[in-house]
Amino acid sequence: MSEFSKALGVSSSGLQAQAARLRHLSENISNADTPGYRRKTISFETAFGAGDSAARVETGRVNLDSTELERIYDPAHPLSDDTGHYDGSNVNLLIELADAREAQRSYEANLKMFEQARKMSGSLMELLRR
Amino acid sequence: MFENLDVFKISHAMAKHAGQRQSLIAQNVANADTPGYIARDVPAFKTTYENDGRNLQRATRSRHLNGMSVNGNATPTEQHTMASPDGNTVSIEQEMLKATDTIRQHDRAIAIYKSSLGILRSSLGRR
Repeated sequence: MSEFSKALGVSSSGLQAQAARLRHLSENISNADTPGYRRKTISFETAFGAGDSAARVETGRVNLDSTELERIYDPAHPLSDDTGHYDGSNVNLLIELADAREAQRSYEANLKMFEQARKMSGSLMELLRR
Repeated sequence: MFENLDVFKISHAMAKHAGQRQSLIAQNVANADTPGYIARDVPAFKTTYENDGRNLQRATRSRHLNGMSVNGNATPTEQHTMASPDGNTVSIEQEMLKATDTIRQHDRAIAIYKSSLGILRSSLGRR
């Protein structure tokens, strides 16, 4: 039984991590046109719980992407400098969308594992019924 | 058949093995995007069961290991298969395949246990 509760705990940690990843991705996408916005990236780390060897996944600290901000030419923009350029964001929508798709795929895999562990412990409980 | 209830012992070991494997697969899937994570798996039930009795010396006390860890579980081994650029060796497709294998093994063990329990019950005259 403890193996199943371990499996459920690990799967839910995976679900939480992927959801956090998707949250930061959606922040990036919604700020794609904000001047001066740097895209946020999040790292995944393996964390071992106290007393057991279950490899849960945890999200590390949020980092800001340090690549160059995009220079956009628009002399009419209030933020533009003498040359008529202003700093846009460094969000690349293509990367964000590909990452979102990968997060969704991993989320579904975790959900499937959760469902299967639930089913297995359920069928074990079924033995107690006559 | 029921001198020492071997059927129950085997199906118990089989279900336990499936449970342990399920837990490892869940860990692999949860860490599918963690950089540097090495996938882990236990050997198939067939090999752990064979190693348990005939080929090696018999484990007569809980401290005898024979490829089992102290709590009677098989020891997980790391799977150094082809790694992605970030050093992660988990393949989601392979884990899904293993998960299906595992749930089938678990169902099989429980079906064997249930039907043996039925035979035992009817031999005791209860229905």
